[in-house]
Amino acid sequence: MQREQISALREGALASAALLVGIVPWGIVAGVAMVSAGLSQAQAVAMSVLVFAGTAQLAVLPLLIAKAPLWVMVATALVVNLRYVIYSAVLAPHFEHLPRPWRVLLSYITVDGVFALFAARFQPDDGNRHKHWYFLGGSLVMWCAWQLASWIGIFAGAMIPAEWSLEFASTLGLIALLIPLLFDRAVVWGALAAGGVALIAAKLPLNLGLLAAIAVGVAVGLAVARLGPRKEEGRV
Amino acid sequence: MEAESWYVWTLIAGMAAIAFFTRAVFILPGSHLRLPPTAERVLRYAPAAALMAIVVPDIAMAHGVFSISIENPRFVGGLVAFALAVSTRSILATIVGGMLALTLVRQFTG
Repeated sequence: MQREQISALREGALASAALLVGIVPWGIVAGVAMVSAGLSQAQAVAMSVLVFAGTAQLAVLPLLIAKAPLWVMVATALVVNLRYVIYSAVLAPHFEHLPRPWRVLLSYITVDGVFALFAARFQPDDGNRHKHWYFLGGSLVMWCAWQLASWIGIFAGAMIPAEWSLEFASTLGLIALLIPLLFDRAVVWGALAAGGVALIAAKLPLNLGLLAAIAVGVAVGLAVARLGPRKEEGRV
Repeated sequence: MEAESWYVWTLIAGMAAIAFFTRAVFILPGSHLRLPPTAERVLRYAPAAALMAIVVPDIAMAHGVFSISIENPRFVGGLVAFALAVSTRSILATIVGGMLALTLVRQFTG
């Protein structure tokens, strides 16, 4: 490795160290919640390594406990992970010159926090040839922290009595993750509509209520975004 | 309550594929594909809608029935968690506070 590559790697790792405060407790909760939801320790470890997407992991657990069909859980994981499609589109021009194994690795290891740091710091046409090392450094810190925290949760979770209802921690974790997503009025109305529909349609078979709720939520969000500016003008 | 094994392994495989595919969809082809603005907006609204659609029934229903009352421990725990999430933005405070509220309500409603 050249000196510039090492320094970019270290710079990324140091920048993302600030994110550890968030990811460590969240990883422990995900670990505990996975075993509380009925996964064996091996399954929980496999999930945290292979999936490596905390929001999706937490999101499927209440559905797993409710014995939802597989396709509903996979569809839910897809919807929750849609934000990665946006990240992927933003990152693609930065990484397009890299060999395929690099692009596979950087795809697998992308997380919210490092994406935000990276996107704020680099431009696609800035000519920086070592920025993928920065991304890798930050991501590796997050990956190691997530895995260690999850494993602590997985092995500690098995010792916690079921009466404590720690599986509820996954729902509480989702609430903590939801609030920062509510960045404008359209998203808030969309989310509220989704919550209302999910409640009304909770009795639909195959958890179709969940998918209906998401569809309505997106539609309401789009509608509010379209109507929003005109209403604002009317008021002023 | 051990979940059925093949069911969980299939779920893990499906989620692993989804998690990789959503992250790799633009990075792996390495082209200058651009997202149309409408698609981007849908992609922004969907995750918040999905999370809310999972959370609301989980806290506002008890034993399959609509239940928003101070006697439903999950409802109280959820409300406390929402308040803490908004005011502190801390995952840890949200989870600890919500679990404490759940436990307290359980003590009192027995």
